[in-house]
Amino acid sequence: MKLEQRKYIIIFFTLIVGICYTFRLFYMQVIDDSWVLRAQEIAEKRKEILPPRAVIFDRNGKKIVSNKTYYNLMVIEDNITKLDTQAFAKLIDWTPIQVRNRFKEIKSGEGIYINKTTGKRTSNYQTQRAYPFLKELTLDEITKIALHLDDFPGFYEEVTSMRSYPFSNGANILGYLNETTREEIEEDRFYKPGNNIGRSGIERYYEKELRGRKGIKYIVTSAMNNAIEPYADGKYDTVAKQAPGLKLGMDIALQEYGELLMQNKKGCIVAIEPKSGEILTMVSAPSFDPNLLVGRRNITLNYPKLAADLNKPLFPRPLQAEYPPGSIFKLVQSLIALQEGVINNNSGFPCNKEIVGCHNHPNAAGVAQAVQYSCNPYFYAVVKKIIQQKKKRNNFADAEIGLNLWHQYMNSFGLGEKLATDVTGQRAGLIPNSKYYDRIYGHNQWAFSTIRSIAIGQGEIKLTPLQMANIAVIIANNGWYITPHFVKSIGKKGPLAIYLKKNATMVDAKHFSSVIEGMRRVVNEPGGTGGAARLNDLLVCGKTGTVQNSQGQDHSVFIAFAPLENPQIAVAVFVENAGAGGTWAAPIASLIIEKYLKSTITDKEKETRVIEGVLAKTKQP
Amino acid sequence: MRKSGDLFTKTDWPLFISFLLLVVLGMATIYSVAYNEEEPNLFALSEKYGKQLLWLGISAFAGILIFLIDSTIYRKVAELVYVIVLVMLVVVLFMPPINGARAWIGIGSLGIQPAEFAKISTALLLSKYISGLAVKFQTTKSVLLACLIFLVPSILVALQPDAGTLIVFSSFLFVMYREGLTFDPIILRLINSIPGFKFKATWFGSHFIPVLFGFLLLCTLTLAFSNYNFHVWFLPNQPIRGVNGILLILFILTLAILLLAWFFSIKRDRFKVLLVISLVFIITSGIALSVDAAFSGLARHQKDRIELVLGLKKDPDGKDYNRNRAMAAVGSGGAFGKGYKEASLSSLKTNHVPESETDFIFCPFAEEWGFLGSFTLVVIYLFMIIRIILIAERQRVSFNRIYAYCVAMILLYHFSINIGMNIGFAPVIGIPLPFFSYGGSSILSFSIMIIILLKLDSQRKDEFN
Repeated sequence: MKLEQRKYIIIFFTLIVGICYTFRLFYMQVIDDSWVLRAQEIAEKRKEILPPRAVIFDRNGKKIVSNKTYYNLMVIEDNITKLDTQAFAKLIDWTPIQVRNRFKEIKSGEGIYINKTTGKRTSNYQTQRAYPFLKELTLDEITKIALHLDDFPGFYEEVTSMRSYPFSNGANILGYLNETTREEIEEDRFYKPGNNIGRSGIERYYEKELRGRKGIKYIVTSAMNNAIEPYADGKYDTVAKQAPGLKLGMDIALQEYGELLMQNKKGCIVAIEPKSGEILTMVSAPSFDPNLLVGRRNITLNYPKLAADLNKPLFPRPLQAEYPPGSIFKLVQSLIALQEGVINNNSGFPCNKEIVGCHNHPNAAGVAQAVQYSCNPYFYAVVKKIIQQKKKRNNFADAEIGLNLWHQYMNSFGLGEKLATDVTGQRAGLIPNSKYYDRIYGHNQWAFSTIRSIAIGQGEIKLTPLQMANIAVIIANNGWYITPHFVKSIGKKGPLAIYLKKNATMVDAKHFSSVIEGMRRVVNEPGGTGGAARLNDLLVCGKTGTVQNSQGQDHSVFIAFAPLENPQIAVAVFVENAGAGGTWAAPIASLIIEKYLKSTITDKEKETRVIEGVLAKTKQP
Repeated sequence: MRKSGDLFTKTDWPLFISFLLLVVLGMATIYSVAYNEEEPNLFALSEKYGKQLLWLGISAFAGILIFLIDSTIYRKVAELVYVIVLVMLVVVLFMPPINGARAWIGIGSLGIQPAEFAKISTALLLSKYISGLAVKFQTTKSVLLACLIFLVPSILVALQPDAGTLIVFSSFLFVMYREGLTFDPIILRLINSIPGFKFKATWFGSHFIPVLFGFLLLCTLTLAFSNYNFHVWFLPNQPIRGVNGILLILFILTLAILLLAWFFSIKRDRFKVLLVISLVFIITSGIALSVDAAFSGLARHQKDRIELVLGLKKDPDGKDYNRNRAMAAVGSGGAFGKGYKEASLSSLKTNHVPESETDFIFCPFAEEWGFLGSFTLVVIYLFMIIRIILIAERQRVSFNRIYAYCVAMILLYHFSINIGMNIGFAPVIGIPLPFFSYGGSSILSFSIMIIILLKLDSQRKDEFN
């Protein structure tokens, strides 16, 4: 081979390189898409912008939950140049040690990433990333700091929004927000660490309706993580959109008034508009100012105190407390008996105090009178007739059939099961059935005589105050109810479909008149137990209850609706350890009714007595 | 002196135009990469494009000077230039280091890198030396002296340290190969000392370039399979370690070749041929074994680096950061690119690709112009290199031819290594992309290199010796 021909080897080699590179470039740039994704991963940052949460209004359009702007003091370590810790600590009113500790806290708070193959541990903390150094500063606080931030490169302010409650009422019902947990973030990709989520009450139930639509900005960033420019001139960006407001059925003025009446007492008030099932008021006493649980700083400070309070202000009594209903239960018993035909409106039973204790009153000659006098022996007789209908010869087997039938009636009244109310953390109460007693006494080992205390709403029976109020709703409506609910309308869409549906009970409308007459008499006739609920120009129908309490003074309970014709409001009031139903619960119910229907209180003396009444001392540990 | 009309017709226009094209594309890319909205003026000396343009001006001035001077001067001053550059390469070792390397003489942007000019000076002296050799009567001394000419500056460059330029110096081996230099004098001395061997010439000694690449291929394969276990049908439960697998393959190949050689060789030569084949097997096996042993003896970080290049390991955000960013930039360019000044990874503003105006300048170009642009660029470089080879072959004077080959091979090395590391074919070796990369010494030395070639070529018909 001549030397000259070696040029072909060299040219061949050159061409091989060129061809290999061309194929490689063609594969990388045209065929393989993975580098495009990799480039996006490297250079484009998705910045998510959370809209402010939806505002919540009361039934009259008053803002009851809104948002307030707060500020975070952010820090990017890489941008810090010669931090004068002394001066900086002075600016934010800390000690230099606190400042240094806060830096350590931020770093350790990010956790550690362990490489699975090499086992190498690296901190997730990145010096080019922004972290909140101080959170949830008010305008005053940030203004003071912001003036001098130019002296501290690496620090800057960022706007955030948090809940704000113009009225300090309804804390237990509205619920509060808290930072998302890791589990919640893993479950729903909407959330990022540091985002807030509805932790209880309406905030939690309507989380998805309240949180709105996230805005996403695509930004071209530098290797130092600085934003350079919007990606593709913002073509793919979406705007954050606040969700439409929630309109509640709640009347915030009534709520406020209810909380005033219940001050220094334990218990609850539930008021519902019978026609719509909208909850007008739900007072849980004692309560707290919802502003106490806004933001991490406040929650850290106040939550432990509230949780330690022996009067349990965090406990939403109307939804979770399960009380024996006492005599108000007699209304339901009457209705079931009438429907079953075991009695009629004029059936009379003697007030035989040998069966069970009663107060002094004439014998009741009919359902209305029995309700009026709240005659215990009468209802023993009535409920015995429901349970023991002699359908079987065996007394025990007969009781089993009777109790299960009775249980079905109770369920149709929304008792013994959770109401589909739009709030989290409800309890079902307890209406026993045959299986329940079989567990206690054994099969065919019990009859009415064994379980007779259920007749007067004692014993195993437990109801939540919301269920008690719903009984008043059902009676006011002559036999049906719409599931009690808070949200009147989501934006302009109206309530959820289930809150338009009438739920019928198993009792026909015709059987309600004598029970209602009885309730009228309870309040408006001499000898009625609820005279304290009487109003001058409004016919209030009600029923008192006195719940025997082995641990202390009896609980005072009262359910009512008004006015008699075309009822506008149904109320249940439960006051713990307050004695007879007529003494505290009845006047409170009447004040609520009058406040709602007339907006002015005629009997100032009654009002003052209630407001000033102290039945529960604040107990701090 | 000649008339300008003469100069016009005698210049090799295809080479000159491809050179200009690369300079213009490079300048445009630097402008795009370093673009500063507050100083959009191309001539702003505060910006990198202004500085590069200044260096282009200096290069143009040098180019005009070269064209005015008679080309015979390069043969005359080759030794002098070589020595001056050597002195500079020594002086530079006493300068304060910049980015960990003592590569600069002078301060800041006015500094120059002698290593860039060492390529020219070495090319000139090597051309002069080899052109004076009688190819048919080579001695051990003549070969070693040729090697020494490029080994001395490459060792000095290695001390800076500048691994990239060190590797580029091996391009002169290609030139020696083309010129018929052979390592036979050395090899024969060794091989003929073995009893029974009496060779006059070896294929290995003269075809050292194919041998070299065969050697590199073997090394690469050994490394690539170092952590791999072979499974063969006759040993089902006994995995064979990588290097042993390669030995096995070599053994089987050797057996096959021996068999073929037995049947097809002339009886008289048979013994010799079989002996040579066995020897090759022993040497290759030795290489594979020693590479494997050397590799397992390496420190962890050195191993990592090799494994990253061979794709045995991935560490895109750590040790392989630069290459990964570069490949993402190139790959995301797509078929037609993101558009001029739209490089989202490799602009200096975002700075995801480090050194995107110097060693990694192919990135912004490929990102902005996509496959269309990068393919065009590959074609221009290939055209340029092959054109220079053709120019070389038409020279009547061996000095000119050898110099031209030097230029072609230097460009080939720069092109292959630089673009190779942008597309994941080569490790990160810091050498500029000729005519493209930002940097005064680079653009000036490459311009001078090409213009000297153009000048030599334009006068090729004047001279006889």
